[in-house]
Amino acid sequence: MRAAVLHLALLLSLLLGAAAQAQDAVPPPPVVKPGTSQEKVQADISTREIAIQSNFTGVEILIFGSIDFSDTRTPAFGSYDVVTVVRGPNKPIVVRKKTRMAGLWVNGPGKTYTQVPSFYTVLSSRPIRAIASDDVLRSLGIGLSELNFGRDTTGSSQEQSFRTAMIRLMEDKRLFTANDSGVVFIGRSLFRATVVLPVNVPTGRYVVDVYLFRDGELASKTQGSLEISKAGIEAVIYEMAFHKPFLYGLLGVAIAVFAGLIGWFAFRRD
Amino acid sequence: MFQIYLPIAEISVNLLVMLGLGAAVGFLSGMFGVGGGFLLTPLLMLSGIPPAIAVATGANQIVGTSVSGTLAQWRRGNVDLHMGAVLIAGGVAGALFGVLLLRYLRGLGQSGLIISMTYVFFLGSIGALMLWESVNAMRRQRAGKTVSARKSGQHNWIHGLPFKMRFPRSRLYISAIPPLVIGGMVGLLAAFLGVGGGFIMVPAMIYILRMPTNVVIGTSIFQIIFITAVVTLLHATLNHTLDIVLAFLLIIGGVIGGQFGVRAGQKLRGEQLRAMLALMVLGVALRILYDLVARPADLYSIIPVAGG
Repeated sequence: MRAAVLHLALLLSLLLGAAAQAQDAVPPPPVVKPGTSQEKVQADISTREIAIQSNFTGVEILIFGSIDFSDTRTPAFGSYDVVTVVRGPNKPIVVRKKTRMAGLWVNGPGKTYTQVPSFYTVLSSRPIRAIASDDVLRSLGIGLSELNFGRDTTGSSQEQSFRTAMIRLMEDKRLFTANDSGVVFIGRSLFRATVVLPVNVPTGRYVVDVYLFRDGELASKTQGSLEISKAGIEAVIYEMAFHKPFLYGLLGVAIAVFAGLIGWFAFRRD
Repeated sequence: MFQIYLPIAEISVNLLVMLGLGAAVGFLSGMFGVGGGFLLTPLLMLSGIPPAIAVATGANQIVGTSVSGTLAQWRRGNVDLHMGAVLIAGGVAGALFGVLLLRYLRGLGQSGLIISMTYVFFLGSIGALMLWESVNAMRRQRAGKTVSARKSGQHNWIHGLPFKMRFPRSRLYISAIPPLVIGGMVGLLAAFLGVGGGFIMVPAMIYILRMPTNVVIGTSIFQIIFITAVVTLLHATLNHTLDIVLAFLLIIGGVIGGQFGVRAGQKLRGEQLRAMLALMVLGVALRILYDLVARPADLYSIIPVAGG
């Protein structure tokens, strides 16, 4: 309910003050290729800080923005596309494959990927392959197939199958997603994209990149970030578990003993 | 509704499911005098809790259910403190060694396989032995003969060992070495498998130490408090895998379930109790064996690099 109101308010402010948003937007000056026209993309995120508390079941955030055509002589021509990439902090992970040994399924040696985004989503106004060429996408690091995860996996078919499996497993956990109709245009210059952060979303600093393409070429880019962290009692518990682990363990045992005593007193029959 | 976020496991679970899981395992725990860890740990993993967190948090839950279970048994005079103390001395040393062994194996990347195989071996052989024994006992009773798992007056090799101690509650006068060794072995397995070890301790007390059945359950559940407390502390300190929120939910369910379990257990005869426990132990063993032998749904798995 609250989310819906927030949503509506954001949309309203977006429609009313698209021009005013220009000043608020975080972005550093957009990268503009020489010789191209001067349209700029500006964007912001509905929530800059997400607190994970005991009632957390995942959250949707809204990325909204506009294309500024003021310096463009011929805005009517050309096709514009917006691609948004949200990525969480990189973490190393190990992928293992089970093989059959003496009738048992046993884990084989693992392959380590040192640079795996803990969360990665690509939202676009059209399928990204239709927006720009593979070379352009690769140079910008847009799309899962363009990421190397800190491991050279070219050539070997075995490396390829591990890589594919890793991506599939991350997709199963809803940590890697793509939505080629995730960016929705409202009229000619306003757009919005909804990012679903699942309940298992890792904490840390997230980078949000918004790319504007004009006829398959990058016209403008803007970057923002958001912070996902534990809050309230969850933060206290997490902090204690990692910084005062012995005390934390004692607390766990004490709670258990205490609960056991209370349970016995409450239920005894004499 | 009823969803709660677990700060260490980093997932959201259903409050009622976890309370129910704790209660079900607590019920069995109170009934059979086992910690129930051999059921709880696999069940937690099935509900999506990461294995390492399931092991540590499971141990913490067993502390709670064991405390109320012990008090209930204590009132009935079923706890042999002397025997318990000797078992705990061995058990704590064994638990320390078990956690260190587990860390070493984890470094080799095969801890999961070895844990599963150990489960299958112990659960399978103990379950089969107990079932065989209890079915025989039931058959003999049906034939009208008197049944006693304890053959008093009969001497075996244990009586030749030195350092004899008197265990009045168990009406035993035996060497301290067998309980110390049994305590140590069970402590090691307990830490290694993330369980209390009751399913090994109970048969060891009956068949090796020849303690009377009525004190076996009380004494076993009493020493489990200390073993699981040590295991919980070690896991929390060394691995940061204890989730207090999850433990709390499981304990509340477990404490309530445990009280009903003790009462249900009083209504059943010893050999019936043993036959039911044996069937359950065998069931879990078969389930784990199936997972080892059957082709997994997904050959690949991903895990975060420790410390990363």
